[in-house]
Amino acid sequence: MRDFNELKTKIYNKAKEIGIKDLEIYYSQGRDLNIKVFEKEIDGYKLAESEGLALRGKYKDEMGYSYTEKVDETSIDFLIENLIENAKNIEREDKEEIFEGVKEYKEVNNFNSSLEKVEEIEKINFVKNLEEEALKIDERIKSIQDCVYGDGFSETVISNTKGLDLQDKSNLAYTYIGVVAKEGEDIQSGFAYKVTNDFNELDYKVIAKEAVEEAISKLGAKSIKSGKYPIIMRNNAASDIIEAFASIFSAERVQKNLSLLKGKLNEKVGSEKITLVDDPYMKKGYASSAFDSEGVPTFKKNIIENGVLNTYLHNLKTALKDGIDSTGNASRSSYKSSIGISPTNMYIKPGDKSLKELMVEMEEGIMITDVQGLHAGLNPISGDFSLSAQGYKIEKGKIMFPVNQITISGNFLDMMKDIIEIGDDLKFGLPSSAYIGSPSIRIKSLDVAGE
Amino acid sequence: MINKKIIENVIEAALSTGGDFAEIFIEDKKGIGINMISGKTENIMSGRDYGIGIRIFKDFNSVYAYTNKSDESTLIQTAKKASKALLGENIISRSLINNMKIEQNHKIEIKPSEIPTKKKIEAMRRAYESAKGFDDIISQVTVNYQDYNQKIAVANSEGIYVEDERTRTRLAIGAVATRDGEMQSGSSSPGAQQGFEFIENLDLEWHGKEAARIAKTMVEADYSPSGKMPVIIHNGFGGVIFHEACGHGLEATSVAKNNSVFAEKIGEKVASDIVTAVDDGTIPNEWGSSNIDDEGNPTQKNILIENGVLKGYMIDKLNGRRMNMKATGSSRRQSYKYPPTSRMTNTFIASGKSNFDEIISSTEKGLFAKYMGGGSVNPATGEFNFAVMEGYLVENGKIIKPVRGATLIGKGINILKKIDMVGDNLSFGQGMCGSSSGSVPANVGQPTIRVSEITVGGRE
Repeated sequence: MRDFNELKTKIYNKAKEIGIKDLEIYYSQGRDLNIKVFEKEIDGYKLAESEGLALRGKYKDEMGYSYTEKVDETSIDFLIENLIENAKNIEREDKEEIFEGVKEYKEVNNFNSSLEKVEEIEKINFVKNLEEEALKIDERIKSIQDCVYGDGFSETVISNTKGLDLQDKSNLAYTYIGVVAKEGEDIQSGFAYKVTNDFNELDYKVIAKEAVEEAISKLGAKSIKSGKYPIIMRNNAASDIIEAFASIFSAERVQKNLSLLKGKLNEKVGSEKITLVDDPYMKKGYASSAFDSEGVPTFKKNIIENGVLNTYLHNLKTALKDGIDSTGNASRSSYKSSIGISPTNMYIKPGDKSLKELMVEMEEGIMITDVQGLHAGLNPISGDFSLSAQGYKIEKGKIMFPVNQITISGNFLDMMKDIIEIGDDLKFGLPSSAYIGSPSIRIKSLDVAGE
Repeated sequence: MINKKIIENVIEAALSTGGDFAEIFIEDKKGIGINMISGKTENIMSGRDYGIGIRIFKDFNSVYAYTNKSDESTLIQTAKKASKALLGENIISRSLINNMKIEQNHKIEIKPSEIPTKKKIEAMRRAYESAKGFDDIISQVTVNYQDYNQKIAVANSEGIYVEDERTRTRLAIGAVATRDGEMQSGSSSPGAQQGFEFIENLDLEWHGKEAARIAKTMVEADYSPSGKMPVIIHNGFGGVIFHEACGHGLEATSVAKNNSVFAEKIGEKVASDIVTAVDDGTIPNEWGSSNIDDEGNPTQKNILIENGVLKGYMIDKLNGRRMNMKATGSSRRQSYKYPPTSRMTNTFIASGKSNFDEIISSTEKGLFAKYMGGGSVNPATGEFNFAVMEGYLVENGKIIKPVRGATLIGKGINILKKIDMVGDNLSFGQGMCGSSSGSVPANVGQPTIRVSEITVGGRE
């Protein structure tokens, strides 16, 4: 850290000399470990120590950015030259400012020191056990696609010439397994994962069982007749879809005419059953933080409350344009990106019905357990989606047979309005800039294409 | 890029616990990304990626470590830490490294780094104006420009030391059309392994208009019919069907572990007679080309399927050991942060004999997918899906009307056998392909093809 402070001072001095008014340094460093097992051997082992530094600064009233992964004195001129050249070429009217910070920030702890003390052999044993367990539960499991354990630590510093000086550190462990079940010519895959920063929470038996059951339950899957079907979107599939549509809540997208929620503030955009929460203080929320990427304090809010759109997500620039305060959702996915907007821990508030109850209430229809092709088959600008899907046919409130080779199609807003019931089984996806979750959701109907 | 003596010492440290192969990958990449919305530059980011990756094998096991620091002590420490994951004694001695000279087959005329940002923005603005001015229905246009220069060096314990340089330039135009509060989008995203001459020679106005035309056509279109039907997939980016449906299943990454439906099928008939498919990383200045792959082997032209018979896979060094087959110059990675593995470069279905009009006129009822969006596949089951960006309904041998919201799903191995017409108009489209070694530039390509039956997902 002493080296970093010296470098920081040198950068500040050089910038001042050359006429850069306000300057901010965004620095992150971390370590990563990833262990992959195949047929009882360590098939892949990845170890990393990395860092990166970005500058953001005002030159002649425009904000310029630059970054480097060669974090030393030899990069100072490169960073400053790039920042100036980029600032000179910014044409947008909305002004981006550097934030001086507030006096006090809440405490948020995303760092679990016990994870840093777990011996490597324990991690290796865990992932070997996971593979072995998955292969012995059911003889129809013929191979393992992926069997991985990983963990990482990262530390971010945001520091600027207006006096802001913030640090954030976090660590996280994850594991996932993909299994392949075969019966005759029929091949099906199953997948399960777990994310935590407490190594003791990882139970290979639970994870193996989940993946194996998923694959086995899909054996014999067939397509069904095209038509409109009542739908239950299982928690993981619902959270995948919400994650893919997360950008529609960004005020930046709204202001640029790129969101289907434009002009819908304070209007009903979904069924009364739905409340969408953004909670940067959620326990075990892996996108938790007391401040956003501009140093603005974060807070908990309902983006949608009982079906009504309460707010968009803002950073300082978009808030200034709308004449309101930032919602503390400024985001930088890394030092390589400029300030954008992202939810923190965002989820649909769970109801009180179990998945079983949702099935009984629906009587006939399809439970969707998996959707694919989210980056292509879903258009966050129009809200239209048409996704390859898998699931189960539900008859008389019970699972009858597995379904695959179908697509489900609809529009996000129509789907939100057609929500009949919300389950109690909130589940989160894999964390990225945001950490997004949903319970299972029962929907009036969607178009299904199959036979 | 790093002193050879240091490289030799690092390789020696990497082999200290019994590894039988060690490799060092050095990357120094500089680039810029410019984002324009409503005709004004919104964000500009430029910077430098720099790092070193060390890879060690012992039999089928592999270890990878990377760092941003290039001093000898950090590198040796990193190599030693990584080597600890392999237990054993040093038995293999490394060979002294020798320079291997390669020829630059992808000539760059104008280095993008020497072009002022202003000039890049002027080109973006021309594309913007053309898209925006296409029709009043166009409500928003975004333009993204990107160029980079990536210098790499690969050295390994077999004595190889080789350097390569890749320059890529790309422009992506996205247009949104709005009608009655409803929005649809269209895009055009040409790119090449070229310098700024790529932009200077590009018909910017055409690409702008094309993005706008797609958005307008789609906002005015009805929803696509659904169900099983013949599908005609147009040339260029339409080749994404082969890329997703079959290409990924021909990568050693899935074949070596028997996780592909194409495993152990060399010499077998896997496609209809009229299908020949190739992965060719050598094509001059194409988006997915390079002189060498990311483990230092020269790229090559690999015949995957010839007249319907499976001929070969795309193989990297590690999976080659498992399969007992030679590497095919197909090992790629996004950056030093990833160990490389077998990936596609420029992958395409070769030209056939039918012409475009003939394919349309011989189709009684079906879907014509003029432009494809992206897609994905589960290599284990071969199930793929992808989105149609611009589609049309074909009836009685004629294109009747545009339709939107279509998705194609199926299993690769079934689709290949159902290709019943192959056109004579091969062309390419550019994409970014994401997989276990990160996101790499990949060309897809094909002539217009017809598949006798695919499940189309739509809303009608």
